[in-house]
Amino acid sequence: MATTLEEKAPGVRSAEEERLIALRRRDTRRKWFWRIAGYVVVLGVWEFLSGRMLNENLLPGPTRIVETFPQLIESGRFFSSFGATLTRIGVGFGLAFLFGVILGILTQSRWIDGFFKDATTISLVSPGLIWALVGLVIWGFEPQGWIFAIFMTTFALVTVNIAEGIRALPKDLMDMSRAFGVSTARRQREIVIPFLAPFIFTALRFGFSIGWKVTVLTEVFSSNKGIGFEMRVASQLFRMDEFFTWVLSFFVFALFLEKVVLQRYENKFFRWREEVVS
Amino acid sequence: MSTVVTTAPSSRGGLRHVVGSPLTARVLFPFVVIGVWYLIYYTIDSRIFPTPQEVVVFMWEEVTLTSGVRYGSVVSNLYGMFLISIARLTVGFFIALGVGTVVGLAMGLSKSVDAFFHDWVMAILAMPALVWALFLGLAFGFGHEAPVLTVILAGIPFVIINVREGVRNTPKELFDMARAFDVPQNKITRHVLLPSLMPFFFAAIRYAYAIGWKGLVIAEVFGSDRGMGWTIKFWYDAHRAKGVIGYALFFIIFALALEKLVFDRLADRAFKWRPKMSAVELAEGDFGAVAAEGFLVVEDQAGIDATVSKGGNL
Repeated sequence: MATTLEEKAPGVRSAEEERLIALRRRDTRRKWFWRIAGYVVVLGVWEFLSGRMLNENLLPGPTRIVETFPQLIESGRFFSSFGATLTRIGVGFGLAFLFGVILGILTQSRWIDGFFKDATTISLVSPGLIWALVGLVIWGFEPQGWIFAIFMTTFALVTVNIAEGIRALPKDLMDMSRAFGVSTARRQREIVIPFLAPFIFTALRFGFSIGWKVTVLTEVFSSNKGIGFEMRVASQLFRMDEFFTWVLSFFVFALFLEKVVLQRYENKFFRWREEVVS
Repeated sequence: MSTVVTTAPSSRGGLRHVVGSPLTARVLFPFVVIGVWYLIYYTIDSRIFPTPQEVVVFMWEEVTLTSGVRYGSVVSNLYGMFLISIARLTVGFFIALGVGTVVGLAMGLSKSVDAFFHDWVMAILAMPALVWALFLGLAFGFGHEAPVLTVILAGIPFVIINVREGVRNTPKELFDMARAFDVPQNKITRHVLLPSLMPFFFAAIRYAYAIGWKGLVIAEVFGSDRGMGWTIKFWYDAHRAKGVIGYALFFIIFALALEKLVFDRLADRAFKWRPKMSAVELAEGDFGAVAAEGFLVVEDQAGIDATVSKGGNL
């Protein structure tokens, strides 16, 4: 290659680049300023409302919640409640996820797709509350009740995400494998499942975000431990500081799992792909 | 995509063709459900679990107002309760739409406003409706306030996110060109900004309504003394399984009717002029997933999409 006319010494930036970097830095600074301002204003208004506009016992401010948190941990119920709720999520959503993924893969068959079409639609549009109540009234406090509720609200979400992936399957690969007489099982293993992997991850993340909410809802009705149960007791005893502390601690935990843990794994696994679909 | 095409059974295909068609499978589904229902009925040891006939009879009595159960006043029947719920939903929905559109526009137009609200919008989006319902029920008592506020809080993040995303996706070249040709501002707004905002706005309406409905029934269970949510809780407390299941079916029928008869039609009409667009190219940024998926539903009438519940409240 011929020597270029403007050979730059490494480390020396042109004036144009300098200007761009300064601009970007200013943008970032401004963005952070407003972001922090947002936190200050919202938390400030919350703190102000509590005790001045609304009764402090009804709406405890952020400082009260921070003070209540160690008390809950000392009470010893904290970790067992988290454990109970997480177990329910694990069992209920685990089953729904498994079924949803299998069903999603089976939607390649138009017959199965037609058979379950209305089931997924119904599951998506109906409120989780009705499944919680129906499950309860049929099975009482038995585990089937809440498993049924969590299952009915989340399986379709998983299925729809997987079916989305099935629709995007590279048609030429499928056609070619069929033309060369590759067996169905092998086709699933070597084309479909690897292709679906990112969709499965997305389904897991979205399913979880709904799954924990419906789990807490079932606990409000049918449990003697867990976050939902503690929320119900706290609100019935008008201990709103405990109520908010339970809610917010699990809320933060669930968001952490969803946005940080799952998202990070997703990005890590699929960085090699040029575009992570959906 | 419509997998279920009305396949006219060809005379050559014969019986096998008919049985194998997706439409047959779809028709078969309710019968299988009823079969499973009977299976549960005969296997579990429960004195209150009803048969399908009992539930149908119950629902029919509720519809024709012949059940003989009247709790107090004239409005306390299916229609009265339903109207109350719809009224609450509609009021909350329009407030959410109004406020959400203003905030969403501001967030789309200014990066500073976006940074200010972003995290809190996400937090409200991820908060279960149950929390609003329990808290607002205690704060406001059994009036209209708690359910309406729950609808607003459940729906507003969807409006904000979608409007914001819509503003961001307005093609810049069109603006530049309009300005170059000296098109007046009100014409730009009407012919450039609004049409490109439309699909997002539509997705916002759809989700705010669907999520608002789910939030509303929870709020009515915990913070109200009337409405559809309260009624299903009434039958639950009365230990009448047929009442609970019957009302659950009313809910499902309502939600399906809303989706199929109202929103699908509206979507068809609103976007007839539009060429197909791929949703993937819209997905940008962390909000993107939600908004683009919402958009996808509008474009792709595959039925109800994953987004219904995406990060949505129950």
